[in-house]
Amino acid sequence: MELSQYVQKGFQMLADPGSFDSNTFTLLLRAAFQSLLDAQADEAVLDHPDLKHIDPVVLKHCHAAAATYILEAGKQRADKSTLSTYLEDCKFDSERIELFWTEYQNNRNSLEILLGSIGRSLPHITDVSWRLEYQIKTNQLDKMYRPAYLVTLNVENTDSRSHPEISFSCSMEQLQDLVGKLKDASKSLERATQL
Amino acid sequence: MLLDLSEEHKEHLAFLPKVDSAVVAEFGRIAVEFLRRGSNPKVYEGAARKLSVSSDTVQHGVEGLIYLLTESSKLMISELDFQDSVFVLGFPEELNKLLLQLYLDNRKEIRTILNELAPDLPSYHSLEWRLDVQLASRSLRQQIKPSVTIKLHLNQNGGHNTHVLQTDPASLLHLAQQLEQALEEVKTNHCRRVVRNIK
Repeated sequence: MELSQYVQKGFQMLADPGSFDSNTFTLLLRAAFQSLLDAQADEAVLDHPDLKHIDPVVLKHCHAAAATYILEAGKQRADKSTLSTYLEDCKFDSERIELFWTEYQNNRNSLEILLGSIGRSLPHITDVSWRLEYQIKTNQLDKMYRPAYLVTLNVENTDSRSHPEISFSCSMEQLQDLVGKLKDASKSLERATQL
Repeated sequence: MLLDLSEEHKEHLAFLPKVDSAVVAEFGRIAVEFLRRGSNPKVYEGAARKLSVSSDTVQHGVEGLIYLLTESSKLMISELDFQDSVFVLGFPEELNKLLLQLYLDNRKEIRTILNELAPDLPSYHSLEWRLDVQLASRSLRQQIKPSVTIKLHLNQNGGHNTHVLQTDPASLLHLAQQLEQALEEVKTNHCRRVVRNIK
């Protein structure tokens, strides 16, 4: 994991029991996780009374360093030994490494979900609605008398957050074809998960 | 139900008994061809020359025939009703028989063509699918994220539309299940009763 001087410096400050005792260390760490994972989090995350005595510049530096490191570790799916190696290099004692690892484990799932959801993908089908109708006549044609379906796919776009819909009509035979293909895909999926 | 033919329409059709049945049969063929592919005015001119009449007369004759066939097909009138409708034109028996045959032979195809004039929603053509597993992205490595990529082919206004979409395994199963229920619905008592009674 390649991390900048800025991050390293921030961590070296965090490692120093003179600047951060155990309690403030944990608080800062938690603030970093909160900033990343809590959608409602804002600058107030560093407003804890126990952090007031620390120089705000130092606080921000360490907070930013921790957040950067957490994201990089999450992205690379770092294990305990990778984490320990880096933190040792930053002069963390074993107690702080344990604390860091515990906090990291607690938040790991949410972190990975967050990172996994970033990125472009194709429009995603979320739901389907259908309508069955019996066609009787049009202005061009009488006595039609046949059933027909109108199917609407609800689709979500990751980036634009728009929700376009795709609608189409189909006859019974066509719907049977569609359902057949979807069931083929499902069976294939089931088989793949059993490998 | 009888066809209601306007005076103008009757006038146009009045040309038909003046030519022999081979010509009427040919006009019938031209009429159906025009319904399939659109009209071609050059055909009128050629025929007009051969028959020594104005091309307008030929055009009216063919168009009269077209209208007769489309109206009959649209309403799906019975053989008897067709014969009675044509009877008022006072044509010879042989011509009446020819027209009836023309109607019966082409009715199904004409109805298919008329059906295409209905308000057009995109309609299903086919579907292709592919199973994928996402292994990594720029923001997260070492993933195992299954997904299904779908290419939906639709027809609209004669053209072809493709939508490339994606879904997750749970949604795929949900989709298949919902649409299967939709298919089952046609077999219920309620739907069967409607289909049986509205004819």
